[in-house]
Amino acid sequence: MDDKTNALREHVKGIFSNLELVLGWEPGYDPLHTRPFYVRTESDIDRLTANCLSVHNLTRYLAKSMNAVDPAADGRKIGVCVKGCDSRSLVALIQEKFVSRDRVYVIGLPCRGTLDARRIRALVPDPARIRSVNAEGDELVVETDQGISRFALDRAIARKCLQCRYPNPVIHDVLIGDPVTPRLKIDAENPSVAAVEALSLEDRLLFWENQLDRCIRCFACRNACPLCVCQNHCIMETRMPKWLTQYRNMNEKFMFHMIHALHLAGRCTECGECERVCPVGIPVALIKEKINAIIYEMLDYESGIDPEAVPPLLTFSPKETGI
Amino acid sequence: MSSKSDAKQEREIKIVGFLCNWCSYGGADTAGVCRFRQPTDLRIIRIPCTGRIDPLMIVKSLIQGADGVLVSGCHPNDCHYAVGNFYARRRMEVLKRFLPYMGFQSERFRYTWVSASEGQIWQQVVTDFSETIHRLGPNPGLHQTVDSAPAVSWF
Repeated sequence: MDDKTNALREHVKGIFSNLELVLGWEPGYDPLHTRPFYVRTESDIDRLTANCLSVHNLTRYLAKSMNAVDPAADGRKIGVCVKGCDSRSLVALIQEKFVSRDRVYVIGLPCRGTLDARRIRALVPDPARIRSVNAEGDELVVETDQGISRFALDRAIARKCLQCRYPNPVIHDVLIGDPVTPRLKIDAENPSVAAVEALSLEDRLLFWENQLDRCIRCFACRNACPLCVCQNHCIMETRMPKWLTQYRNMNEKFMFHMIHALHLAGRCTECGECERVCPVGIPVALIKEKINAIIYEMLDYESGIDPEAVPPLLTFSPKETGI
Repeated sequence: MSSKSDAKQEREIKIVGFLCNWCSYGGADTAGVCRFRQPTDLRIIRIPCTGRIDPLMIVKSLIQGADGVLVSGCHPNDCHYAVGNFYARRRMEVLKRFLPYMGFQSERFRYTWVSASEGQIWQQVVTDFSETIHRLGPNPGLHQTVDSAPAVSWF
């Protein structure tokens, strides 16, 4: 067990009597996964885990937990573990008043990058035989039945982490572990967006069509998104107005992703959950990253940084010059 | 590159126009009353205010094969509802810059401001946009199947 997990457990033990529950992670069903975990009793604390496999953005569960306030909790707060990217989602939820800041106790965990299970499986010849994975410094150590192999960590971490600009939580009540140096500067160009933009217009269309053609409209990206807050009123499924049909063709698939992306314009915090949960490996977050880049360039705004700010497409300034 | 007349022969060009009830719809009416000659490609949908425009309406029009989309409303500061077009301006500018990233020609979408008295300006706007769309030719729409696509590597 690593130091971070230990430190987290120690800290939660110390404050648990003041909290209603804590959202964290526990070991998952195989060595490549953890799963979200609700710490409800003192004895649950020893299952808490925080490592490079703690991929889930737990703020997704927060708005729901807030609505179901336990009357027995008598005003105790809800604890939530956040990485840098997760903390931005939390700020966005606070901005839009889905979560109230004084109801949450934010446990910040600086993050050196989360592992992408898909990329790890591609590294070793027999992924089913992996016994454990661990990040040691800049190396990934994979233990299989055959022995131990080491890879550069950058070959196994998620795309969003390779271009991470906020590894340290932007808001927190307590920080567990030392702050990490960001990989990219805040105003740096997004390298994956630049890679798509390097294509010609025709090729870009083909690239996206090829990617989105795989979409099976399972809506996992929408369900995992902490900021997709419409729940039963999502226009993907409403019949009035009828935006999408059940037909299985390119127009519908493309439109589905346009709806998701444009509803997150100026709100998406690039936590990458949509991309992680995609069962067919579409780089879904890449669409939203471009919109964020546009908004940063046009309105000098980044979502999920300032809890007091208003998302730019929900407000206006008469002074700015349009056409 | 098909010439203007070739493109016309393939099929009729259709432009979807979302016009705000208070200014641009009136401006188009003024142009008509004044008997200004206008292109016939535009199909007008009257909306209460450009603030009603959901960028998805524009995307949906383009995906479903509209050759062009024109959104027109009151001049900034002159909105009938005071601020509707301020919201619209941000949304549409974001969309305009976003469209080429997904492989759409951003020239197929234009937003502009025309007041109810500016019949002459309306004629210019609609003529100019219609010429642009004729130059681009019909919207090919999305490919329903993709045989080979360029690879992008970001690692």
